[in-house]
Amino acid sequence: MIKKVFEKPLSWLERIFFIDFIRGLSVTIRHAFSKTITTHYPYEKLTPPKRFRGFFGHKVVDGREPQPAFDEWVERFKVEVEPGKSRCVVCLLCKRACPVPQLFEIEGEKLPNGKRRVSVFNMNMLLCTFCGFCVDACPVDCLFQSDIHETASYSRKDSVLTLDVLERVGRDWQRRREKEPDRIWIDDAQRMRLWYENDLKLPEVKKQ
Amino acid sequence: MGSLFVQLLVIGIKILVILGVVLGLGAYLTWVERKVAAHIQRRPGPMVVGWHGLLQPLADGLKLITKEDIFPRTGNRFLYNLALVLALVPAVLVFAVVPFGPEFEFFGVKVKPILTDVNVGLLLVFALGSMAVYAIALAGWASNSKYALIGSMRKAGIIVSYEVVITFAVMGPVILAGTLSTYEIVQQQINQKLWYIWLQPIAFVVYMFAMLAETGRVPFDIQEAEAELVTGFTVEYGGIKFGLFPLVEWYVEVLSLSAIAVVLFLGGWSPINIPFLGFIDPLFFLGPLSPFVWFVLKVALLFLFVLWLHWTLPRYRIDQITETAWKVMLPLTFVNLVLTAVLAPIVWR
Repeated sequence: MIKKVFEKPLSWLERIFFIDFIRGLSVTIRHAFSKTITTHYPYEKLTPPKRFRGFFGHKVVDGREPQPAFDEWVERFKVEVEPGKSRCVVCLLCKRACPVPQLFEIEGEKLPNGKRRVSVFNMNMLLCTFCGFCVDACPVDCLFQSDIHETASYSRKDSVLTLDVLERVGRDWQRRREKEPDRIWIDDAQRMRLWYENDLKLPEVKKQ
Repeated sequence: MGSLFVQLLVIGIKILVILGVVLGLGAYLTWVERKVAAHIQRRPGPMVVGWHGLLQPLADGLKLITKEDIFPRTGNRFLYNLALVLALVPAVLVFAVVPFGPEFEFFGVKVKPILTDVNVGLLLVFALGSMAVYAIALAGWASNSKYALIGSMRKAGIIVSYEVVITFAVMGPVILAGTLSTYEIVQQQINQKLWYIWLQPIAFVVYMFAMLAETGRVPFDIQEAEAELVTGFTVEYGGIKFGLFPLVEWYVEVLSLSAIAVVLFLGGWSPINIPFLGFIDPLFFLGPLSPFVWFVLKVALLFLFVLWLHWTLPRYRIDQITETAWKVMLPLTFVNLVLTAVLAPIVWR
């Protein structure tokens, strides 16, 4: 079989009748009369993939913490665990992992009953590069990156994520997308077929 | 006395109508261009201001007018402003010799829908067409910027080459019609029952190329060349002054040269032609309006074709452009001229 590698150069007859022009024009006219593929942004929005690296959030205590890591950290630091509040154990590993550590401002407090909990957790998004190292470092799956990407604000103060904001983002995320399978586009049925990872069934290993 | 007054009134109305239509249309053609470009690239184009962005030209105009008028400190202010006038006036003036339709009677007054039916109309068109190079050369010089200067030099080089070509290209229709008056050329085509494109396909193609070159459209947009020269000679202009140059170059000039092409090759206001046999008019139900509709339709189609080309083709280099003009197009027009001279007696009969 002969494989076609290049287009042949145009013959002089084809040049005279502008065949190359006509080919180009036929391509553009076909596109001109087919449907547009644009999202009308402020009115329509795409849902980013679940692994999108947007603004940060704190997942809250809801019984789905990674075990036994969470219990170990809680025991080690004597952390007050309160359902609906941040899972943060104030280990400062996120600050350690960060290439710009000064963007984190983390403090813990001691409660009257002798236990500890996080009291201040500020992230200055003006310094952040959204690299996600802090998320990888978090041992209790607390800090994570959400799909929030419209991050413009009117003042520098607004770009600092406080503990309240982080927890709110976390609760919102857990309600919306926590249980969602990990595929690329949420509203794209076509992708589901390509991204078959979630449907993949591993062959069971027979016990000897 | 009375008839003189009527004549003056008619001329005044013609001027107002032509100016209003040309400049208003020029502004709206920006919207057309943006829509065509967008759909070729699978985008919807302007959609927000008005229905499908129909008020976008007004918004753009308002924005351009209210912008600060910036002038380069080391430039030449007189030439800088003169360039604008020199660009706008000749481009609009071409419409003085564009015939929009046949002569008609309006309340007993015979009106020719052409501003001045001078008997050297075509000469006027190409004289004014070559004026455009002054505007651009001056704009580039007065801006005192290397991008602007390079852009204007390129444009001057192109226009010098293509003025020769376009003049020889229109010789064919002129020989066939035996007149230089635009109105008479159309009349001749109707009398001879022949659109000149059927006998002058080479001249038409060459004319189209020259038209693209003169108006700085792709594939000859070398004087703008936004990838290399930012926007060429308009770099140092701001606000509405910046807006006027593309308006003139890309819309008014393309429109006027399309109209001249329709007059020369496509039989002006006449309906669809079968060579030497007659005309078929599918728009007969419009009655006396039909010729005007035909004219507008042909110009619009030609303009859309230019847009279509613009958003399809890549850009030639400056040496390729001038080489095509001198080595290919000019000999072709000579050959065409000889052929036309041989064929002409058949057409004259």
